[in-house]
Amino acid sequence: MRDNAKGGALTEVTFYILLALHTPRHGYGVMRFIEEKTVGRLSLGAGTLYGALNALLDKGWIEPWGEEGGRKREYTVTPLGREVAKRELDRLERLIEVAQDIIGGAG
Amino acid sequence: MNKKCGRYFGGLLSSQARWLDKMSDRGWRLVRAERLIYEFEPCRPGQVRYCVEYIGNRSHADAEEYRCFLEDLGYRTFYKNVNLNWNIGKVVARPWADRGGRLATDATTLNRELLIVEKENDGKQFQLHTTFEDKIRYYKAMRRPGLFLLAMSVALGAVLRTWVAGIFAVLALIQIVACQIELARLEKQGELQEW
Repeated sequence: MRDNAKGGALTEVTFYILLALHTPRHGYGVMRFIEEKTVGRLSLGAGTLYGALNALLDKGWIEPWGEEGGRKREYTVTPLGREVAKRELDRLERLIEVAQDIIGGAG
Repeated sequence: MNKKCGRYFGGLLSSQARWLDKMSDRGWRLVRAERLIYEFEPCRPGQVRYCVEYIGNRSHADAEEYRCFLEDLGYRTFYKNVNLNWNIGKVVARPWADRGGRLATDATTLNRELLIVEKENDGKQFQLHTTFEDKIRYYKAMRRPGLFLLAMSVALGAVLRTWVAGIFAVLALIQIVACQIELARLEKQGELQEW
């Protein structure tokens, strides 16, 4: 599964990384955030996180934060990344509305 | 007192990781890895867990950045050779590698094709790659040297008509088929799941 840039749907990993970086964090902080928020359901491997962070840097959705020579490299979401995350939230809210209409009251 | 062991695993990355895990279970953690020698120091039995990753496709800068990223996460890392090359000043062409890694030298990624990663044992399975998309990308990178070796072996075998090329072709095929089986499994599972 990949981010669907055209349709606007993000993978869960991408969306969680963008959410995690609304506060500047280093790699370990991102891993902890995702593990905590999903109560351990989603535990990212370090290699996967490294690839995902680099892909998001290339897209301009996140950027390095703080001093370049710092011990641990930190990242933060860019204005474009915030916009992408907001669009994903809107898409998911609309999806939930439709789902509630169809199956929400079925029980 | 430290302990030294001689082993050679070649491209058998999982076997190498399993052996290092067993050493940890016996109370030994890695402190140094050379061409054929692994040096260990005492630790609590099962204190650490290992992953061995192929990084021969990466540029030197990317390999070093990746290693630093892992160390920032609190892991310990060790470069390791995949082949048994004894050389000084050698330059090796790797057409299958990422940009910046296609010429490997002693000063860059030659004899540093593997990264041994050590993590404190938290009772969970130690995996560096967890999403299907990322695992597929990793196995495709592992398959590329095999495809190149197969193409070279077939070309050399056709021109020189030597059985040595056939041996290399068979070795390459084994690696390609192993990667292909894993890729097919991952692609099938990845159709409906993200990780």
